[in-house]
Amino acid sequence: MHMATTLTINGETKSFDAPPEMPLLWVLRDILGMTGTKFGCGIAQCGACTVHVDGKAVRSCVLPVSAVANHAITTIEHVGNTPSGAKVQKAWLDLEVIQCGYCQSGQIMAAAALLAATPNPDDSDIDAAMAGNICRCGTYVRIREAIKQAATGRQS
Amino acid sequence: MSGKMRILASLVAIAIVAVALGVWIIRGPGPLDFAGGTKVALADHRAGKPTGVPAKLEKAGIVERGEYLAKAADCMVCHTKPGDKEYSGGLGFKLPFGTLYSTNITPDKETGIGNYSDQDFLNAVQHGKRHDGARLYPAMPYTSYTYMTDEDVLAVKAYLFSLPAVRAKAPENTLSFPFNQRWAMIFWSAVFNPDTRFTPDSSKSPEWNRGAYLAEALAHCGECHTPRNLGFALDNRKKFGGAITAGWRAFNISSDKAMGLGNWRDEDLISYLSLGHAPGHGSASGPMGEAVDRSFSQLAPEDIRAIVVYLRSVPPVLSPDLPATTAPVAPASHKDGVTADARGKKVFASACASCHGWSGESPVSPMATLTGTWAVNDPAATNVAQIVLSGTKRHTPDGALSMPAFGNAYTDDEIAAVANYVTARFGTKGSKLTAKDVAELREQTAE
Repeated sequence: MHMATTLTINGETKSFDAPPEMPLLWVLRDILGMTGTKFGCGIAQCGACTVHVDGKAVRSCVLPVSAVANHAITTIEHVGNTPSGAKVQKAWLDLEVIQCGYCQSGQIMAAAALLAATPNPDDSDIDAAMAGNICRCGTYVRIREAIKQAATGRQS
Repeated sequence: MSGKMRILASLVAIAIVAVALGVWIIRGPGPLDFAGGTKVALADHRAGKPTGVPAKLEKAGIVERGEYLAKAADCMVCHTKPGDKEYSGGLGFKLPFGTLYSTNITPDKETGIGNYSDQDFLNAVQHGKRHDGARLYPAMPYTSYTYMTDEDVLAVKAYLFSLPAVRAKAPENTLSFPFNQRWAMIFWSAVFNPDTRFTPDSSKSPEWNRGAYLAEALAHCGECHTPRNLGFALDNRKKFGGAITAGWRAFNISSDKAMGLGNWRDEDLISYLSLGHAPGHGSASGPMGEAVDRSFSQLAPEDIRAIVVYLRSVPPVLSPDLPATTAPVAPASHKDGVTADARGKKVFASACASCHGWSGESPVSPMATLTGTWAVNDPAATNVAQIVLSGTKRHTPDGALSMPAFGNAYTDDEIAAVANYVTARFGTKGSKLTAKDVAELREQTAE
């Protein structure tokens, strides 16, 4: 059953028809054409689909669209306009974090949410926030370094 | 009579009295004895109709009525092996002394119940006696179904006979001696099967009577939620006090305010039964999840309300191993609160935190909130480990939400570690599960 749904995504109001149980990821990619957010595992175990809901990192592949009406959603397309997102993206470029890139929109979203909540994370904070984001290329060392650089503004 | 004979006769008499007393003590009260009101024969009961189907189905044909009653009795879950045809049996119940398989109850003449007469079917469902005269094991809850009226049992039969016949022979049971001696069930049944139909209580409301019939005769709540006695029958002295069944803990559903349902609001109970979730109380998983999906979620709203009225009347029973209150929300930061069990924390960070959060309040859905659930407040962590092993799925009007099964992804050691971490962080007292405990829990799940 399709229902008219309205969401606030990246500060804009978007209206579309979707079944209430459709995961947000499908709405973003297939209905709204916002393909920056990636599908990885579909069971909230890899982090590739991470978006922000009210500033918190959430896996959009298990999030029914009916659960996010009245919440502010931010995706990789817009995160560069947030203070922590801008810092993270700059550090990511400075340190050439990305290899194949598939997981990286999820990594950046998780890192930006971490810095927004914890401006000076230590290693255990990074572990706690980033452990659920998997990178098959193994860029973890550069990810950690980039998060620290984004936090302090200087290269470590 | 000589002196010796008299002594012998007295000894025999004493032995008989002792055995009878022992049986009487072990058997204890019946499931509805707590109510203590005035029982009247069903035929003489005038205040509402506690048996049968809800009003909207009253005029329906026997097959449709039987379908409703079969759902209310939750026949399908046990009589279907996941992935196989409905009602074709073969689900294995793993007991400490072997595996017992459910039977095919489709109308196939050779492998199902196609040759059952009405009387055969009544014998099986109410008396635990098979078509060929052999006795059923009480995994089939005939000691509950015995309270069903003949009319309702036969409506279920008509429904089952309306289904396509499936040829499927259940595997042979693998019970060890002495449990493989079916004939011994004659004695078990004689002691523990009340073999009586439901009698309304004229001192109670029509809703209560309907709820009692639904909960006791059909839904057979006590089969999981009431602890068992020495004879492996229900111990109604601790009615609805909670028990472990098929490797899952069925929690206390008595009216106790701390450990039972006494503090749940009516709308919470209605929501839990009909949707499998109540805010702040968690979501139904495992066998209760199946009961919600296949049975309660399909019942008429007035029947759910009747069950709630009945549940509220069951006297409070304590669960001595549970804390008096559930734990509050855990701190938002991973650094605060319980930090023990580094390994458990590592698994939680990788596999769990993204949905359940570090505070236990889920950023994804209230259905995934851990705070306030008995599962994380059970110091034995039974259901936490089981849900991690086999996952869970809930359907609601707004869509489905599921948690994947981690049983094949993590070792027993890792699952024990994460269960211990979860109960320590989000519950009142951390569990001390070992890899061996988790291996045993895997063994007990019906499949």
